[in-house]
Amino acid sequence: MTLSVALGPDTRESTQTGTVTSTDVLTAPDIPWNLVIWNDPVNLMSYVSYVFRSYFGYSEAKANKLMMEVHKKGRSIVAHGSKEQVEQHAVAMHGYGLWATVEKATGGTGSGSGKGKGKRG
Amino acid sequence: MAKAFKYGLKGIKGYLEPAERELLRSLFADVISMLEPAERANEDPLAALVGLDADAREPSDRALRRLLPNVMKNDDDASLEFRRYTERSLRESKIGALKAAALSLDREDLVLTPADARHWATALNDVRLVLAERLDIRDDADADNVHLMQDWSQAEDVESYLALVYNFTTWLQESLVQAMVHSLDARR
Repeated sequence: MTLSVALGPDTRESTQTGTVTSTDVLTAPDIPWNLVIWNDPVNLMSYVSYVFRSYFGYSEAKANKLMMEVHKKGRSIVAHGSKEQVEQHAVAMHGYGLWATVEKATGGTGSGSGKGKGKRG
Repeated sequence: MAKAFKYGLKGIKGYLEPAERELLRSLFADVISMLEPAERANEDPLAALVGLDADAREPSDRALRRLLPNVMKNDDDASLEFRRYTERSLRESKIGALKAAALSLDREDLVLTPADARHWATALNDVRLVLAERLDIRDDADADNVHLMQDWSQAEDVESYLALVYNFTTWLQESLVQAMVHSLDARR
C-alpha cells in the first residue's frame, strides 16, 4: 500500500474508542473460511481502511489495525464465514479494487505470507 | 490547477480544470474499454442476463488480472469456476462506476453525492491499478520512485508522462478518501 503523496500530515481526529463488531465473536472452528486481503504497492492506506470501515462496518481502530497488518505482514484475514459469505465479500472487495482471496481456515497458523514483491495470484 | 476534494455542507466538493477533466474522461474511457466483455455471436441470452459466462478465462493482461483477480490463491480450477459466475457482473459494476464518474465530469460544479463519491473512489482506484501495471510498479520502492516524478516540464517520454498522470490520480484519490472519511465521521 502507499501513503498519500501530497496531503501532508494526518488530519484525522481520533475520537474513536474501538467498538467490537459482531463478526469478532465468530471463531474459526464454527466457520471454516477466511477472507484474506493482500498487500500491493498501489492501494492507498487511507482507502483500504475506509473500505474496511464502510463495507464491514468496522470501527476506525479495527479498520486501521487490519490495514496496517496488510501493509506490514503482506496479508491479513479480515473476515470469517461460510464459503458463500467470504466469496461474496471477495467479490465486493474486487469491486473496490482490493486484492482479496478466500481460503479454508486451517485453525491456527495461516502460513504463506505473500509479503514483498507484489506477486499476483 | 485542481483543488483537493473537501467535505462540506453541500457534500464533497472538488475543482478540476477543463484539461484535467479531459484527462480523467479519457482515463475512465480507457479502463471501460478494457473491461467491456467481447461480444459473442452464439451467446445464450438467458445466461448473459443472469451474469453467467461459461467462456470466462483468467485474463492474460496483467492489469486486467489485477482488476479481476482469482478468488483463490492456489486453486485455478475453483477460481475459474467462480469467475464464470461472478466476473461478468464484476466487470459491469466497475464499468458502471467509471461511467458514473465520467458523467459527473460534465457537470459545471464538481459536487459529489455519497453515491458519486463511492463511484469516483473505485473509478480512480481502478485507473491507478491499470497505470501501475503499465509503469511496472511491483513494490513500495517502485512506487516511491514514481512518486518522485512531480514536474510536468520533465515529461519527455511516455513513461514519465504516465508517472505524472499516476501521481495526479493518486493525489486526487487521496483527497477524495480523506473527504469521505470526514463525511463518515460526521454522520456518526
